[in-house]
Amino acid sequence: MDYLFQQLINGLTLGGVYALVALGYTMVYGIISLINFAHGEIFAAGGYLGVILLSYMASQGVMDNHPWFGLAFALILAMGYCAMLAMAVEKVAYKPLRSSSRLSVLLSALGMSIFLQNGLMLTQGVYDKAYPTEFTHGGFEWLGVRVSFMQIGILAVTGLLLVLLNALVFKTRIGKAMRATSQDKVMSALVGIHSDKVISTTFAIGAALAAAAGIMVGLYYGSVRYDMGFVPGIKAFAAAVLGGIGNITGAMIGGLIIGMVEILAAAYIPHGGEYKDVFAFVILIGVLYFMPTGIMGENVDDTRV
Amino acid sequence: MKARSIILALVALCLTAGTASAATLKIGSLSPLTGSYAADGNDIANGTRAAIAAIEKDGGIPGFDKIELFAEDSACDPRQAVAAANKLVNEKVVGVVGAYCSSATIPASEALAEADIPMLTPASTSEKVTERGLPYMFRVCGRDDDQSIAAMKFIKDVLGAKTIFIVDDKTTYSQGLADNVEKLAAKEGLKVIAHDHVNQGDKDFSAVLTKIKDAKPDVLYMSLQNSASGALMLIQAKRTGVTAAIIGQDAVYHPQLMEIAKDAAEGMYLTFGYIDESTPSYKKFMAAYEKFGKPGAYSAYAYDAAYSLLSAIKATKSTDPAKIKAELIKTEMQGASKKIKFQANGESGSNYIIRVVKDGQFANFWDPQTGKKY
Repeated sequence: MDYLFQQLINGLTLGGVYALVALGYTMVYGIISLINFAHGEIFAAGGYLGVILLSYMASQGVMDNHPWFGLAFALILAMGYCAMLAMAVEKVAYKPLRSSSRLSVLLSALGMSIFLQNGLMLTQGVYDKAYPTEFTHGGFEWLGVRVSFMQIGILAVTGLLLVLLNALVFKTRIGKAMRATSQDKVMSALVGIHSDKVISTTFAIGAALAAAAGIMVGLYYGSVRYDMGFVPGIKAFAAAVLGGIGNITGAMIGGLIIGMVEILAAAYIPHGGEYKDVFAFVILIGVLYFMPTGIMGENVDDTRV
Repeated sequence: MKARSIILALVALCLTAGTASAATLKIGSLSPLTGSYAADGNDIANGTRAAIAAIEKDGGIPGFDKIELFAEDSACDPRQAVAAANKLVNEKVVGVVGAYCSSATIPASEALAEADIPMLTPASTSEKVTERGLPYMFRVCGRDDDQSIAAMKFIKDVLGAKTIFIVDDKTTYSQGLADNVEKLAAKEGLKVIAHDHVNQGDKDFSAVLTKIKDAKPDVLYMSLQNSASGALMLIQAKRTGVTAAIIGQDAVYHPQLMEIAKDAAEGMYLTFGYIDESTPSYKKFMAAYEKFGKPGAYSAYAYDAAYSLLSAIKATKSTDPAKIKAELIKTEMQGASKKIKFQANGESGSNYIIRVVKDGQFANFWDPQTGKKY
């Protein structure tokens, strides 16, 4: 029994990581119907900025004396930096193509992804970078189930960001503007909503979440690499689709399901470890077959946009 | 008349100068310079550069002004490796050091064999590399079957293990090695609890590690293609509470393993070729390699591969592959990694020992030849 619970904890943690990245995909898709392929690279950039800041602070002794301060500082700085990076990407690669076909924007996103990944490789090197992880050790054992503080941290941050994000979208003015822009860009502009600004803000928020995910992943697994954004990017995108793309709670649920399926397939199916991705995507196809808009997705009439 | 002869003399001078400056010896290296295996791949390119520098410092090769290296990226990908090999064929290199992943070395070697270009691999340990009857395929490192024998001997004789759990990441190299260990374990009467697989590039191994923790094997044979994945698995094994002795192999051997895994790497065993650090050849290698930083697992092997190729060209005063091969087989050379004497099939012998991670460093632990601890 403790075996099952241990695997469920593993699945929740992995799912939490996917969910954090998936939020960014789903927000951008929700507002301009664009699959932002560069999102995985923003996640990697956040991981790198985290390692640079934390290593520097560790070398200065900050991490020994005020680990929580150091962590929060790195998190906030990386989130801010990635938000600006994403806004720059939006301005350069997506905004000029706002009125062209969806295919051109998609290609531009792919190009941006390759550009950013290679940029990371050239500036940061091809070697893995080790995270200073001394202060993340520790955890507790309860009825034979081991839970590390990092696992709790990942789930807590994911949960907190979800609540904050929902509050932002449904309770604030900018959230209202976002929902209006996503429903009808032209009409919302007519009633005085600055849609370019709203889109830019959406990119910034999604990127800040990805940066947080990048740092959490670096701390949890112990290292980052320039191409670390690719696979979680694909999985998170699948999670966003599974949950119903454009829906924030859906992205969260999708992320948790994909993480859970991967772990349980590896845990219970013989040779499941090598086919875990197959199981995750079979679930995705199965759900989409019966619920084409995803688990939480609404049926949107295409003529409205 | 006089003016004419001066002009003729000048023209002749220019011509000889022209031919002399064109005498460049071209050699190639093939290794993954980008992607997951870039750490080992760059070590191979740098080892080759160090050998060229060492040869040039000793006066170079008579008849050639300089030695030029074409360091190509094989990316551990069969298709890219073949494309890179074809590029080296077009550059008319006289020999190639590489590649890294056996699954890329094998197709690349076929492309080089068509042009009769000698290939010396410093890192591909799969048996198949030299067993295809290619005339100019050489191997400076050891073989997987020897490596698995050394590992199994250690597991049985020193650790006295009864049960074993095997994990590999499904590459030609890692799965071949894991399959060998599984076969040997069955023969030696060990119980193989399971032989599980993960995917290359996976970051999360928590599912399989929880399985291992639950099965409580005496030994975990961790067959992975690179040190970064190895470090991730070690960190997570410690976190999960896996108590089995962990044994890895030469692909996981890299200073980066301890940099990332830190104390989680402590006490891990690895099969690795014995390097005698007291020989003058090793010291010469270290001096030439200094500017590239700490040598990785394959730096010395790549250095030896390039060094023996260049020495053979120097000795025979020829770039004819048949003559190079005859020279390589004839001479025994004390390399930086080991004593190198090639056989007709291209092998140079294995010398696997068990090393251990101790106080954040790799240390010699046990010699399967003598059955003694260091």
